[in-house]
Amino acid sequence: MEESDSEKTTEKENLGPRMDPPLGEPEGSLGWVLPNTAMKKKVLLMGKSGSGKTSMRSIIFANYIARDTRRLGATIDVEHSHVRFLGNLVLNLWDCGGQDTFMENYFTSQRDNIFRNVEVLIYVFDVESRELEKDMHYYQSCLEAILQNSPDAKIFCLVHKMDLVQEDQRDLIFKEREEDLRRLSRPLECSCFRTSIWDETLYKAWSSIVYQLIPNVQQLEMNLRNFAEIIEADEVLLFERATFLCKEQRDAHRFEKISNIIKQFKLSCSKLAASFQSMEVRNSNFAAFIDIFTSNTYVMVVMSDPSIPSAATLINIRNARKHFEKLERVDGPKQCLLMR
Amino acid sequence: MANMNSDSRHLGTSEVDHERDPGPMNIQFEPSDLRSKRPFCIEPTNIVNVNHVIQRVSDHASAMNKRIHYYSRLTTPADKALIAPDHVVPAPEECYVYSPLGSAYKLQSYTEGYGKNTSLVTIFMIWNTMMGTSILSIPWGIKQAGFTTGMCVIILMGLLTLYCCYRVVKSRTMMFSLDTTTWEYPDVCRHYFGSFGQWSSLLFSLVSLIGAMIVYWVLMSNFLFNTGKFIFNFIHHINDTDTILSTNNSNPVICPSAGSGGHPDNSSMIFYANDTGAQQFEKWWDKSRTVPFYLVGLLLPLLNFKSPSFFSKFNILGTVSVLYLIFLVTFKAVRLGFHLEFHWFIPTEFFVPEIRFQFPQLTGVLTLAFFIHNCIITLLKNNKKQENNVRDLCIAYMLVTLTYLYIGVLVFASFPSPPLSKDCIEQNFLDNFPSSDTLSFIARIFLLFQMMTVYPLLGYLARVQLLGHIFGDIYPRYSGAACGLAFVFIYPSLIYIISLHQEERLTWPKLIFHVFIIILGVANLIVQFFM
Repeated sequence: MEESDSEKTTEKENLGPRMDPPLGEPEGSLGWVLPNTAMKKKVLLMGKSGSGKTSMRSIIFANYIARDTRRLGATIDVEHSHVRFLGNLVLNLWDCGGQDTFMENYFTSQRDNIFRNVEVLIYVFDVESRELEKDMHYYQSCLEAILQNSPDAKIFCLVHKMDLVQEDQRDLIFKEREEDLRRLSRPLECSCFRTSIWDETLYKAWSSIVYQLIPNVQQLEMNLRNFAEIIEADEVLLFERATFLCKEQRDAHRFEKISNIIKQFKLSCSKLAASFQSMEVRNSNFAAFIDIFTSNTYVMVVMSDPSIPSAATLINIRNARKHFEKLERVDGPKQCLLMR
Repeated sequence: MANMNSDSRHLGTSEVDHERDPGPMNIQFEPSDLRSKRPFCIEPTNIVNVNHVIQRVSDHASAMNKRIHYYSRLTTPADKALIAPDHVVPAPEECYVYSPLGSAYKLQSYTEGYGKNTSLVTIFMIWNTMMGTSILSIPWGIKQAGFTTGMCVIILMGLLTLYCCYRVVKSRTMMFSLDTTTWEYPDVCRHYFGSFGQWSSLLFSLVSLIGAMIVYWVLMSNFLFNTGKFIFNFIHHINDTDTILSTNNSNPVICPSAGSGGHPDNSSMIFYANDTGAQQFEKWWDKSRTVPFYLVGLLLPLLNFKSPSFFSKFNILGTVSVLYLIFLVTFKAVRLGFHLEFHWFIPTEFFVPEIRFQFPQLTGVLTLAFFIHNCIITLLKNNKKQENNVRDLCIAYMLVTLTYLYIGVLVFASFPSPPLSKDCIEQNFLDNFPSSDTLSFIARIFLLFQMMTVYPLLGYLARVQLLGHIFGDIYPRYSGAACGLAFVFIYPSLIYIISLHQEERLTWPKLIFHVFIIILGVANLIVQFFM
């Protein structure tokens, strides 16, 4: 999407300096209450200290890293990020491995607490790590805990920092690791991705993960196509609300770029104690609208007929919103249960 | 304007080194600074004046640009966690820096060992930089010192300044704990002497610059004067060599200072009873009273050029001038033949003794002639094979010494002594040729053009000419010796002594030798004022 000589307009809501605006649930059931982690479903982001989890989280969720990521010690406690994404999921960061015996005890005593109610486990491996045996050992102990406490959880393995490997060797090394991890994970099934924060692979991996968690995704897509035809739009896309992850895999460069642009804009808005709600980008050739859609998603509508007034498109989007909310609600209030 | 060829792959398993110090933040985009000054691409919308042809930025580069922009918002500027490592960003050669006015230029990489110049180019550049206007004074210097003494002094000074230059080059390697890749010599002085060292070395540099500017101005006035006179005489078919002491053949050599007691010729001693036109000309074309101001008019338009780098294209004129001078001198020597007689201590009517006690005047000239210490580090940085630096430096110095010796000896030896005394050799040996001599006229033209393209500032030139009137003798043996004192003799030796002392490797012979060099330098300066 070229942005040459275009104007950007936004509508601001003064909601305070949060990255993630409260969900627009019309029935207002829960409001903005501090989540009780014992009850909410979790996404566990685990890995060795220094494998890149904090940077990853900061980049995906547009969180400002307030301190030096080169910590001298491992994280003692689990980091609650209070990032709500996909409705009621809370992201927890935990450093796994590399601690002394004191930490080991703490880990084992808190284990049940940590691994209960886990929706998704994302385990990060540093491709440059020299202690492969140890890494696998910690991974396996996490898997055991998962098997005991949350056997339904989905497992994803990210082989991270791939930019440090020479380009012609990347596929080979990744395949090796993938085979090893698959083998070690049995009887659980894990999906592996190779990632690096310096290209679009991180975005792609997280998009795949997150979109496996959206309920009714097929039905959503069919309805979106209909919607696009009705309003005569060139393109209609869904982005996840907190992270702007998009399901489309074909043009990952483009969507990662859009996501980065919007997240950067969100950060700028938050510095003014405003939160980002919607955006319209218009030029003589096209008009694009990015707006809140359902409780979990943003929508981007691209119209190549600039003669259609913005108001018309915005009304269409607003009307469609109700329909799509209903679609998401099929399973009731706990809308993020996985469909099995 | 964005010209990213970033479809090229970025290979390499470099270790991401978070400990590296970003180094001094200055404007020249040193590579140590680059990491925190990325991103590297400014999209066309941010440039004020966009050309009609908007060049495409590749998707890859555009995505990387946005990524880097976004990541930089996530951390504090002091946190280096999300700064792009070298292997994901295009190499420095593919980076362009944009000025808001629309022009773009490529980044120079200053990293050690990235130089692209072969040894030959480096040697040539050192030779070219050292060859200055002092070459015109070497014959005079030899005359002042006596022939034998002159030759010995030239060789010895060459060796001495070479050694001190070597010290300058090696000074950076004595500091192992610091990253000195971006340091020039004033930085080294600052390290050892504190801010006194930095400011004093800069001051001495300035002094030499001012001295050079004085010389340039004087020479340019001189050449312009002679050129004008030549053209005038050519047009009006006047032959004015009759009244000045000169040789009587087809290769005239004149002795301008014969009648005026040692002062250079300020005005012509010709008067024409019936020719008021020529008198008018004499009135309006005077070497010290009017021509310098005409020079102002000539130089002012040149200083209004938008980019001074335009003049760097004329650098080749310097080399051409020197080569032409060599040719001229050879030609004249062949025509005039050798006139040498060896009298050891007693001056004769036409010859000077071999050993004279005015030889410090030669050393004064030579200190400026062999001066390159303030920029040798930069020149050698671009050498492709850094290990050959010392060898190339020695070769360059040898070539320079040979050139000076050649010209000095030839002019001195071929100066026609039977009719004229060797004492007639002027501080600028071109003055010894009449303004009607075609070959020297061409030489003057070359040098005139070359100096005009080199001349940087105009600001204090009127004042400088004033000083020239006040002090009379305007050739800056003083400024050469003064800055030479600091840069050439004192600082290199002193810094070497101090660094050795810090490493506790200082031995008595080394200490004595270097203190002796310092004393020589001081003596060199003091003695200039007594001659």
